[in-house]
Amino acid sequence: MIVAEQKPLEEIRRMIAPYGRVLILGCGTCMTVCDAGGEREVSFLHNALQLAQARSGDVAHTFSEHTLKRQCDPEFLELLTEKTADVDVILSLGCGIGVQAIAERLPDMPVLPGVNTSFMGMTKESGVWDERCAACGDCRLEDTAGICPITRCTKGILNGPCAGVKNGKCEANKDMDCAWILIYQRLERLQQLDKMRRYYPPRNYRTIPRPRRIMSKVDTVVGEGDG
Amino acid sequence: MNMVNKSYPENRLENAPDHSLVPPCQDACPLHMDIREYIGLVSQGRIMEALQVIRTGNPFPSICAYVCTRPCEDACRRSQVDKPIAIRSLKRFAVEFGGDRMVRAEAETTHEEKVAIVGSGPAGLACAYYLKKSGYPATILEAHSDLGGMLRVGIPQYRLPREVLDIEVQRLTRMGVEIRTNTRVVSLDLLFELGYKAIFVTIGAHQSLRMGIEGEESPGVIDGATFLREVNLGLKPSLGRKVAVVGGGNVAIDAARTATRLGVKKVSILYRRTRAEMPADPKEVEQALEEGIDIKYLVTPTEIKSENKRLNVTCVKMKLGEPDESGRQRPVPVKGSEFREEFDTLIAAIGQAPQTPDDFGVRMGRGSTIQVDPSTLTTNRVGVFAGGDAVTGPATVTEALAAGRLAALRIDDYLQHRYPLPVKEAKEKLSGDLLPETIEMIRKIERVEPPSLASEVRAKDFETIELVYGWEQAINEARRCLRCGVGVEILFQDKCATCLTCLRVCPYHVPYLDASGTIRIPADQCQACGICVAECPAKAIVLRKPFDRRQVTEELGHTIKSAVESKTKPLIIGFCCQYGLFGTGTLARLWRSAKAGVSIVPVLCVAKVEAAHILSAFETGAEGVFIAGCGEQCARENTTYWVQQRVAKVRKVLEPIGLEPERLQVFALGTTAEDPAEELDKFVEQISALRLASVIKGEVES
Ligand SMILES: Cc1cc2nc3c(=O)[nH]c(=O)nc-3n(C[C@H](O)[C@H](O)[C@H](O)COP(=O)(O)OP(=O)(O)OC[C@H]3O[C@@H](n4cnc5c(N)ncnc54)[C@H](O)[C@@H]3O)c2cc1C
Ligand code: SF4
Ligand code: SF4
Ligand code: SF4
Ligand code: SF4
Repeated sequence: MIVAEQKPLEEIRRMIAPYGRVLILGCGTCMTVCDAGGEREVSFLHNALQLAQARSGDVAHTFSEHTLKRQCDPEFLELLTEKTADVDVILSLGCGIGVQAIAERLPDMPVLPGVNTSFMGMTKESGVWDERCAACGDCRLEDTAGICPITRCTKGILNGPCAGVKNGKCEANKDMDCAWILIYQRLERLQQLDKMRRYYPPRNYRTIPRPRRIMSKVDTVVGEGDG
Repeated sequence: MNMVNKSYPENRLENAPDHSLVPPCQDACPLHMDIREYIGLVSQGRIMEALQVIRTGNPFPSICAYVCTRPCEDACRRSQVDKPIAIRSLKRFAVEFGGDRMVRAEAETTHEEKVAIVGSGPAGLACAYYLKKSGYPATILEAHSDLGGMLRVGIPQYRLPREVLDIEVQRLTRMGVEIRTNTRVVSLDLLFELGYKAIFVTIGAHQSLRMGIEGEESPGVIDGATFLREVNLGLKPSLGRKVAVVGGGNVAIDAARTATRLGVKKVSILYRRTRAEMPADPKEVEQALEEGIDIKYLVTPTEIKSENKRLNVTCVKMKLGEPDESGRQRPVPVKGSEFREEFDTLIAAIGQAPQTPDDFGVRMGRGSTIQVDPSTLTTNRVGVFAGGDAVTGPATVTEALAAGRLAALRIDDYLQHRYPLPVKEAKEKLSGDLLPETIEMIRKIERVEPPSLASEVRAKDFETIELVYGWEQAINEARRCLRCGVGVEILFQDKCATCLTCLRVCPYHVPYLDASGTIRIPADQCQACGICVAECPAKAIVLRKPFDRRQVTEELGHTIKSAVESKTKPLIIGFCCQYGLFGTGTLARLWRSAKAGVSIVPVLCVAKVEAAHILSAFETGAEGVFIAGCGEQCARENTTYWVQQRVAKVRKVLEPIGLEPERLQVFALGTTAEDPAEELDKFVEQISALRLASVIKGEVES
């Protein structure tokens, strides 16, 4: 799942300053799960912006709110037509993908990001999320016992551990487990320690052209990104 | 002042219908009273409203408050945790403190058809009450000199003060019900000839059953119902010094305790089974023992001889054998265990049956009961309805009241030539026991019993034994209710993002993932704490009752409105829990004494105050907001913790808005050593100072 954090209120207020009518648009999928932009957060932000405005007495914005099931699919965005009729800007609480999907779909409508899209990760416990995947496009988890060194090792090295490990913790952050120690322990458990003894050549990130596209169909889609 | 307040987004969830379920207490009540509702109102100290709810479901609540056999308490789910809610005692509290005596019942006569009610027990009285309310001229015909049936001539005064009964009877008279006492009806034809269009036969079950043993006719042997009737009608039968009562039901216990109150030194109850099988109310049995009554279990008389004005009673010991058709073990005599004992009086209280005059011409069934269609109460005779003990055999007051009410409905249908509509329960029943993991997390709170007279004092006369709760006791008892069936639901599953927050935050482990990966919140486990409602990031969870859903927003709306009307802006808004001490106890006065500028938004547990509500309070222009809850005394788990989480979240946005975080406070009982009253005073001072500072700052700037 994509994990994000709502932007500080000051920043949001600064962004919306030039616009009158603001639609706060939530996302009912990832942003709901990570507490950054679901219906409840939309409503909370709505209240907060309104309060800020009442207290400062500055330009009167008018706010409306809505939450789509997902912002990253054009069909869902179609449901917006009515809601955007008298709106000057969309403040999206979807991730960066959502914001761009809106930009693409509504050419004349300014759209603002209300959250900082942070990483792909999972819930550790209620209210705590951890990064787990860098979307590198070349998954090596088979060799590393299901633990990603690119994401979880501070240095992202492919042949760890480095010399900085102390008592199983990373030298860069004493509270963080060294990913490579975790990999070692799990490989040992799975009786696959031989995988530790191999050398993995460094990866050439430059060979991955961006933006990437995945096509599960044989027909080609014309446009950017097919390179 | 800028009073912009966000109009709440039109939320389809908030407008959804009432999905609450019928709790087991209500289901068990023959009158189907909305117990959960009135207990809830008592726990908020809203006694008058509680009484109103009670009165809608019960024509004579003050009577039930004394003598109901409490089937609701037997069904109460709290007994799976510790002990059932003291429902009857709470009703008594509401009736006494809510001013039931003052309630006036009025009724106009709008129909012509006269209805005769034969018998004035609870069934007859209830039928008269409801018939009169629907506009029929009703006449009660009663064989005795006073109305009330077993309420008058059966139940002893120490359990039901006659003044209570008299008030109800007076109410009926004032409503215009015609009353004819000393009128024993022998033929129904005569009543039809007199112009009555329908008749309700409710003659009770007053014929005592015989023991079927030799010597039963001896002087000194009397049956329980007759004995109690004589005492209740003011006679003082002479019983001698030593009395035996045969039987194990409530009538036996009442007879024995009445004998004690008449001054008999030694009263023994002979019962052929053990205490566990005794049909009498265990509490009554206990009280009888406290009053010095001796109960001999597994004993039955087999022969009575009258000798020298005394009774020489032969008894035999029993043991429990095979179960009989009722499932209870059948007592069988132990060979050679006979013994004799002398008594002055023997009271046989082994049951009663109805005694219906043959000329009534109604079809009879088992145990001389009148046969009726249970859903219409019609007999074989057109226009003749029957109900109460006469139909069921000896039962209870509440069942009789329910029969009376049903009869009134059915007679109305009959007279208006309407097809009787089945009384259908619109709501689903809550079924299923609490799971061990739910029970484990529910706070154990001791049941508060109302005070009662000490046994030494009470056995001397017929003074009422059970006394009434004080306010604090009643409120604490009412707070124990688990509010079964008004918990939460995911109304539109498509809104749920399956984030699992509810599953993680519920203190009672109620939400779970089913095999298909869908989150479920089972109604029979939910404790209605409301935590997940506020924490669900998709706002997919709602309380089952529309009122509960809207409560905080609506109350906040009232506060804002009254501020607008009075053209002042509230200095401080406080969300105060209405349960327990903050709502009704000592601290309530504190809020109500309305410190200048402090507006209170009453809430039903602070766990239902969402972060957005707090912001809305600030939006009204309030300089400070506080949330006051019961803290350690809350009947639910983790409520203060979640309030603190939300407060922290709000404080984070207050700062950039230019509002100091101190402007938002939580007061929770039991978490600080400080007196909450003092804390509040301090808070008010602090806020006043902050406001002054900002005013000065504003002036300097301009
Ligand atoms: C000692 C005792 C204690 C009890 N304690 C409790 C208790 O604590 N709680 C509880 O719920 N229940 C209790 N009960 C049971 C309860 O009182 C009865 O179930 C209830 O009163 C039945 O009501 P009813 O209207 O059917 O009949 P009843 O109350 O029996 O009334 C019938 C009336 O009809 C009159 N009548 C009879 N024949 C005629 C006629 N031919 N013409 C005119 N009038 C006639 C009778 O005089 C009587 O007044 C007790 C019963 C007894 C005997
Ligand atoms: S817009 Fe972003 S946050 Fe919303 S569903 Fe798509 S990927 Fe997830
Ligand atoms: S806990 Fe309350 S709602 Fe539940 S059965 Fe008991 S009295 Fe009724
Ligand atoms: S908290 Fe809300 S969105 Fe999350 S699983 Fe529960 S019902 Fe679904
Ligand atoms: S309302 Fe409370 S008890 Fe019910 S599911 Fe939600 S958190 Fe659990």
